[in-house]
Amino acid sequence: METLAILAATAGGTAIGAEAAKWLGVGLAGLGLAGAGIGLGILGNGAMNALGRNPDARDAIVPNMVLALAFTEAIGIYGLVTAILLIFVA
Amino acid sequence: MSRAVVAPIAILAGALLLAGLIFGAIGSSLFGLGDPKLVTQPVLHLAPQPVACIGGEFVGAVCEGGFAITNTLISAWLTTAVILFFFIVGTRKAALVPSRLQSIIEVLIEAILGFVTSVAGEKNGRRFFPILMTIFVFVAFNAWMALLPIYPNVGFRADPNGPVTTHLLRSAGTDVNLPLALAIISFFFVEIWGLKVHGIGYFREFIRLGGLIKGIVKFKPGMIFYGAINAAIGILEALSHMIRLLSFTFRLFGNMVAGEIVLFMVTFLVVFLVPVTFYFLEILVGGVQALIFTGLTLVFAVMAVAPHAEHEEEH
Repeated sequence: METLAILAATAGGTAIGAEAAKWLGVGLAGLGLAGAGIGLGILGNGAMNALGRNPDARDAIVPNMVLALAFTEAIGIYGLVTAILLIFVA
Repeated sequence: MSRAVVAPIAILAGALLLAGLIFGAIGSSLFGLGDPKLVTQPVLHLAPQPVACIGGEFVGAVCEGGFAITNTLISAWLTTAVILFFFIVGTRKAALVPSRLQSIIEVLIEAILGFVTSVAGEKNGRRFFPILMTIFVFVAFNAWMALLPIYPNVGFRADPNGPVTTHLLRSAGTDVNLPLALAIISFFFVEIWGLKVHGIGYFREFIRLGGLIKGIVKFKPGMIFYGAINAAIGILEALSHMIRLLSFTFRLFGNMVAGEIVLFMVTFLVVFLVPVTFYFLEILVGGVQALIFTGLTLVFAVMAVAPHAEHEEEH
């Protein structure tokens, strides 16, 4: 926070306070959820394509899709946890 | 259902929804009604709050110098008691023609056992099953019991006319210690199973210096190159085993905390009827997160006990 303030001051602008920088960080951390959303959509797309080609392979496709969904969802949740930590602890 | 029954129910539901919208937080700020009359603003905590202090004393909201009994700890004890009651009473007079509770338990065990043996095979599946079933039942029951209305309402007040400030019970998954403990247990058991099957050779997964040493001894640049890459992959494997601890913890923690915040916020904004959909979502999320924790531990255990693929690279 102090680095940002010093940087802003030396660049000739007004310094951002620590509170403002914290809330900006919260919003930026939330942007990471976009990647998780896109990844989940791509996974769903692949699963729908596979199911469309071969509906009998449902038992092979769906559990693997759910496993991959868990991994991808976790990345978005890391961003959410960063935001929550900033709000409550920082 | 006949029209005579549906119509009053629909009118009542519509009235509840409208009343909740107007007198909840959305309506109160839109129409300028001041503080919302039906609900008070929820106070969100991240850290669990200590309810009792053993051997220390309260300084503000923290327990100094003693063992703090937090609301999430009490909630985890309550969940354990409920699980024990459920399974012990259900299997007490185990009969060939099962009673209702016993058949519920049979369905649950058969489902998880089928899942575990389908991924791990018959013999390994039975060996992994007790730990995995415990993890599944513990995570799922913790998540589902937190949806009971007793959880946000019982507690201690700071001032006698205000809302409850220190809850007595809180979903155990929202305390980062519980997901961390489960992640450590799952990591510990995966490594122990790998070591049991492979002995000390389990570490050959991480320390892959064979190709590199052979390349240096025979002085072939090609073998040295591939050997170095193999050694780096071994280090990455060890790193990824460690990262699993963090990812398990934060996946469960993030889901539980986000669910709790969503429920509080939705009840604050729209007081009636709409939170029911979010309760269904939370039931789903609790079950899915338990299944994912169990499933991922299972997959990592299967990978750990799998026989080594022999790489014979003769260049």
